[in-house]
Amino acid sequence: MDRGQMAKWFKDPVKMGHKYSLGVVYFATGCGIIEIPPTITTRWDAERFGVVPAATPRHANLFLITGYVSVKTLRAIIRTYEQMPEPKYLIGFGSCPINGGMYWDSYNTINSLDKYVPVDGWIAGCMPRPEAIFIAVTHLWTMIDKDMADGYKRYKKYYRQYRRNQERVLQHLEWPPLYPIGEGE
Amino acid sequence: MDKTLPEKIRENFPNADVSSVEEERLAVTVPKEELIDILSFVKNLGFDHLVMVSCVDWIDEGQFELVYIVTSYVSYNGESSGKGRQHIIVKIRIDRSKATFRTIIPVYQNAEPYEREIHELYGVDFQGHPRLTPLLLEREYPVPPFRKDFDSRNYVKEFFDSIPEIEEEK
Amino acid sequence: MRELELYFGPQHLGMVGNFSITLSVEGDRIVKATANPGFLHRGFEKLMEMRTWIQDFPLVCRINVIEPDSMEMVYAMAVERLAGIEVPERANYIRSVVLELARIQSHLFGLWGYSNLLGLDTVAQWAMYHRDLVLDLYEELCGGRVYHIYIWPGGVRRDFPEGFKDRIVKTLHTIGNSVPDYDSAFFNNRLFYDRAAGIGVVDKEEAKELGAVGQVLRAVGEKFDIRKVEPYAAYDKVDFDIPTREDGDAYSRIWVVRDEMIQSVHMIFKLLDQMPEGEVYNRVPNPFKWKVPKGETYVRVESSRGELGLYMVSDGGDKPYRVHFRTPSYTHGLILLERLLEGASISDVGNIMLSSYVVAPEIDR
Repeated sequence: MDRGQMAKWFKDPVKMGHKYSLGVVYFATGCGIIEIPPTITTRWDAERFGVVPAATPRHANLFLITGYVSVKTLRAIIRTYEQMPEPKYLIGFGSCPINGGMYWDSYNTINSLDKYVPVDGWIAGCMPRPEAIFIAVTHLWTMIDKDMADGYKRYKKYYRQYRRNQERVLQHLEWPPLYPIGEGE
Repeated sequence: MDKTLPEKIRENFPNADVSSVEEERLAVTVPKEELIDILSFVKNLGFDHLVMVSCVDWIDEGQFELVYIVTSYVSYNGESSGKGRQHIIVKIRIDRSKATFRTIIPVYQNAEPYEREIHELYGVDFQGHPRLTPLLLEREYPVPPFRKDFDSRNYVKEFFDSIPEIEEEK
Repeated sequence: MRELELYFGPQHLGMVGNFSITLSVEGDRIVKATANPGFLHRGFEKLMEMRTWIQDFPLVCRINVIEPDSMEMVYAMAVERLAGIEVPERANYIRSVVLELARIQSHLFGLWGYSNLLGLDTVAQWAMYHRDLVLDLYEELCGGRVYHIYIWPGGVRRDFPEGFKDRIVKTLHTIGNSVPDYDSAFFNNRLFYDRAAGIGVVDKEEAKELGAVGQVLRAVGEKFDIRKVEPYAAYDKVDFDIPTREDGDAYSRIWVVRDEMIQSVHMIFKLLDQMPEGEVYNRVPNPFKWKVPKGETYVRVESSRGELGLYMVSDGGDKPYRVHFRTPSYTHGLILLERLLEGASISDVGNIMLSSYVVAPEIDR
């Protein structure tokens, strides 16, 4: 949990503001979405942790990849992620985005999500319990405090590599690069 | 009705091979030219519910088996009559190398997404189908992925595993 | 007026699940709707061909996350039929109880989505809380909240723990006692009537022609329920009604769902009363060396959304040769939905979609 809050608020109020109002993108990417409704309703009440579902990616700064990612969903994930305003954090939920999980030999699921978008943290398990989301959120707080949740910065820095991998899987990206390709690395 | 059903089919379709797979499941193999006729025939007998269209890849025999399962909608009223349990599994064989066949949408409208899926996953071409556009897949695969000669594990190894990790400076 | 193309989903507030519809709209009226599934396609049937019979069990429940038990049931039934495995009487009763609990929690999940969509958030919170109580029962029974892997060929994995029956009864009393609250806050609410009545109307002939099952068919007055037509587990030993309505609109479909939940609660009480003692699992040969005899079969169960079938071919080996699931959402989501959306207004897309119970992972598989 978060200790010594008062000092942090004086030191860096903007960061603390981000930390305690994590808007989650409303996007059901996989079967892990089944544990999101219990998390945001009365029993577990994610609002205690400042986690609130946001209607559009432009109002959100936390993206939970809930479960396996098929090739078709990857396209939507990249587009959603690129629309989010900075600072933005991305957490892989469940075993499948880590290494494919149950679907390691499926021809239509990408096995490692972090080859295509930067991931700030993982929640392992199938299905992770709602408590696991809270543990992840509190970890994310610590990481934000220490400037370790730097996925969006890495995305900018190594954008050429990310874009190359995305193009290899999706064959054709119909949107222009988010950052200048020549820059970075 | 159950007793006479195989006889009725044999009477009208002498080329059909009728066998009982198990209780209440009747397998009928017909030459592919007769499929539309036999489906219209059983639909008129009251088999108005097309459950599914499936495809089995018998690679050793070089053939695809298209499977049409039909049964009837029954309104339950009072007692379990056993009516509505009878399923007919109509099967045809088509050549694997020349996988084209006619659509059955004129007989059963809800065959449309099933045929679309089989077209995509097995590469069977249904003539007369209004839209054989991609349904589920995003990428193009060397062989339609549900065919037996498509090795999914090999594909994953060769393609997804070959994509490099992001190299970061420490 | 100019015709526009509107992408509805997969990332959209009105969309439940990873599914997308392309709408051609004129003003706010939909001219043409094209369903665009495939965001959850994992090629299950291919994966199952590459795994042994027993390895398929953890896979098969993951096809549909909302109600995994009916998936396990249909797979277990197919294997039992092909391999000729008998199921003990007590296991049949336990299966029925588990499947009915699954139906209740699935309907509550549907109610959560639907009432959220209409803006009746209070009801959504209740529904999700009550669903969680059912999930607690599952957790006690098999250790998993969402995926259970509980129904096996030859029976169920383990017997009820001590005092479990009482806890089921207690939970169902909690849910049953709140039905008047649900009624006054949601089902008899004028808001619900105004939003749902006359929306997404389908008539009997069209519904049959398009392969509708489940609530969609029962909402047009057809008493079609696999539990009655072709009873499995212990459904032929217990008495229950099939609720129907006549109008065929979203309002009737949701009412059918409500009545079905109440029927399920009553049915579980009866099943628990009648449940015999005995074994819950017939010993089968070492499952890791299973070979299922050559043959083919089609089995079906009534899931919470309608007829769920499985066509299975075995070539006598240690792996299935071909499995193909007939899922209820498949025809609902791909052709019925497209037909119902024509002429509807944009604000009713989610309404029509949720009331006809389109669940995306079932379509894509």
